[in-house]
Amino acid sequence: MNERPPRPRAFRLDDRRVAVDDKPAPYAPDAVIQSQYAPIPAAPARAPTDEAELEVEAAQRSGLISRSRLTLARLAWTGLGGLVSLALGLWATNLIEGLFARAPWLGDIGLVFGVVFLVGLIGVATREIVAVARQTRIAEMHVAFAEARAADDRVAARRLVGELVALYKSRPETARARAQVEDAARAIIDGRDLIDVTERALMRPIDEKVEGEIAAAAKRVSLVTAISPRAILDVVFVAAQIVRLVRRIAEIYGGRPGLLGLVKLARSIGAHIAITGGMAVGDSLLQQLVGHGIASRISARMGEGVLNGLLTARVGLSALAVCRPMPFSVDKAPGVSEVAPFLFSKGEQPPSHIGEKGRG
Amino acid sequence: MPGFSDFLFEAGLVARSIGDYFSGAALRLGVTGLSRSGKTVFLTALINNLIAGARLPVLAASAEGRIVRTRLEPQPDDAVPRFPYEEHLKSLAGPDRRWPESTRRIAELRLTIEFESASGWGARRSSLTVDIVDYPGEWLLDLPLLDKSYATWSRETLAASETPARAPLSEQWRASLVGLDPGARADEETARRIAELFTAYLKRARDDVYALSTLPPGRFLAPGDLAGSPALTFAPIPLSDDAIVPGSLAAMMARRYEAYKAHVAKPFFRDHFARLDRQIVLVDALSALNSGPAALADLENALTEVMRAFRAGRSSYLASIFRPRIDRILFAATKADHLHHKSHDRLEAILRALTAKAIARAEGVGAGIDVIALAAIRATREAEIRTGGETLDAIIGVPEKGETIGGQTFDGIAEAAVFPGELPADPEAIFKGDAIALAEADNDWRFVRFRPPLVQAGAPAPQIRLDRALQFLIGDRLA
Repeated sequence: MNERPPRPRAFRLDDRRVAVDDKPAPYAPDAVIQSQYAPIPAAPARAPTDEAELEVEAAQRSGLISRSRLTLARLAWTGLGGLVSLALGLWATNLIEGLFARAPWLGDIGLVFGVVFLVGLIGVATREIVAVARQTRIAEMHVAFAEARAADDRVAARRLVGELVALYKSRPETARARAQVEDAARAIIDGRDLIDVTERALMRPIDEKVEGEIAAAAKRVSLVTAISPRAILDVVFVAAQIVRLVRRIAEIYGGRPGLLGLVKLARSIGAHIAITGGMAVGDSLLQQLVGHGIASRISARMGEGVLNGLLTARVGLSALAVCRPMPFSVDKAPGVSEVAPFLFSKGEQPPSHIGEKGRG
Repeated sequence: MPGFSDFLFEAGLVARSIGDYFSGAALRLGVTGLSRSGKTVFLTALINNLIAGARLPVLAASAEGRIVRTRLEPQPDDAVPRFPYEEHLKSLAGPDRRWPESTRRIAELRLTIEFESASGWGARRSSLTVDIVDYPGEWLLDLPLLDKSYATWSRETLAASETPARAPLSEQWRASLVGLDPGARADEETARRIAELFTAYLKRARDDVYALSTLPPGRFLAPGDLAGSPALTFAPIPLSDDAIVPGSLAAMMARRYEAYKAHVAKPFFRDHFARLDRQIVLVDALSALNSGPAALADLENALTEVMRAFRAGRSSYLASIFRPRIDRILFAATKADHLHHKSHDRLEAILRALTAKAIARAEGVGAGIDVIALAAIRATREAEIRTGGETLDAIIGVPEKGETIGGQTFDGIAEAAVFPGELPADPEAIFKGDAIALAEADNDWRFVRFRPPLVQAGAPAPQIRLDRALQFLIGDRLA
């Protein structure tokens, strides 16, 4: 038998042998009573959701998991879309009829092309739908993870972790992490802890890969901008790099964005950048400006390069935030200075090795 | 076997629920709890907080500032007493403040919450009418009787009364049953004597020192108008077999048992219980903890029986289609302010353990169930005591006159810092043993009662997690 817990007891506050808060007290009080004014936590089982996570979820809602609401603009676009498709259909029918009128064999060929086009279109559309559904599911998983973690929900956590493991089933490099997570899911462990274990084991290597990808893109962009002869060239290059980076990030996290998925993703990223006020997550705007200022004093082109690099890294980080299937909780969301420290290196030449990461 | 009268009963319920549906009836919120669990205080605080427009951070509609105002409406059911909110509020204020008198009957009150909805096409004004129905938890224990015959109930009650915790209390009553012949001629005098002893036993079990939960029939403790009527003058008697000889004592008891069901249990079920949409069950776990493991085991049984009530009458096909169901049930351990908040998790864990059987049983009920520790009115503040090398998490309040702890007796005026002891980390540990009415020295904790806090007249008193309870119970209707 272990020793007995402390006995219940009481001290009257008007007792002379007791010191209460700051009131005058006897020389050697029997007990010192210190009032506590901290509010009682509203719900002890719930962890507070942090600001950054709310921002990410808001961004996801405005793109990836936007509920289709009937708005006036949507109504107008629907009408226009219908008219355009009717016009295209009419044009195609006229074309094939015209071909048949000229020569039957020409008509046959036209028909064959039409069928080929249709089959291709259906295939592309199916792929798009599957891709969008997949991207949406990842975003929903993110929200569900945040909820399960906040509520410390055992059942939901187990289900979600199962889904996440299934998402990365086709990645041989995650085999060990997946096994670890599955072991944890079988053990007696609370929902919140299980989610944390998963984040540490499974998400960390994937995050590092994504950060490497962002660093590489930022480096390429800043270099090319610094040496490109024409302004229009680096605009095109930056745009292409950003699209490529966003796709790559989505793919690494298990999504497979097609064209439509990319549009939705872009809206979420745009919303995230707008919500976070153009500031890099975890960085101050000041720091970015100072970094730029020092670089630009050395060379105008270098300064532009750094600025474009910052932009790329910034977009990459937003893409990371909205594509990640679970919120950051154990790890801190990375900031620009962590993924691309070379942009702040006070005008030194960018380090030659690519993929350097700020996080240890 | 379901007969024609059961069918009529069922059809009446369905007609009523359809009527409720088309008349745009309010959300009916049931508030119950075994006596002394703090129903009246909970209700008074809930209404006061809503009407005064207090900030309730966890109630989403309140946190988002969408609640315009809340007002009391005339009580809709003419045959049901109104909940005397104003009186209770008055008794909680002023220098001679005290906890409101406990009510032993059903009461109802209608609230209208005007709010702006945040969903759908833009903001729009709407209102939610909540009918709060307050009834003694003992009545819930009557509902499972609807499916039990007299013989079954007798057997179960006798078995329950022979447990070590209850045996000394029920001794007199059981002694009167010795040598009783259930087949003897019905005799009013004998029936009355046995019933009186049985009632006395039920009353003693509710005493503070024992803090046992009650056994049905619940109306025996608060008979009201029915006192002395045959419907309340019966008791279980040992039956040799299920066959009951007509004209015998057993037959008379059985007939009265059926009358109790017909005149007490069924009307309550039909007029009130079957119409509820949401339910909160308040549980005074602290009194049971003060008393000992046997009281806790008893409370667990009572809660399981309560849960059985939520299933009662759900078996029929007709009912499952047409009758509205209670879709959310909240079990709340009240008086959480008697503990430092660091112990609230443990109190919740204990309540969870207490209700585990009940919740497992709830699968067929199809309701969302949650468990929280709350204090509708917070009578204490928190503090830390450092004494003799120990640091204790304590609470400061004015203990009621006559409360004792650690050899100290309070006068109801002085403030005191109270360390009530530590609840065990493992909730199962509290069920070990079958001690009851433990002396203070034998228990690892002691919860004293505090006087209500002094607050400005009309202003809502501080609360603990009342907002979370509200969010669970009505939050979705304020979306």
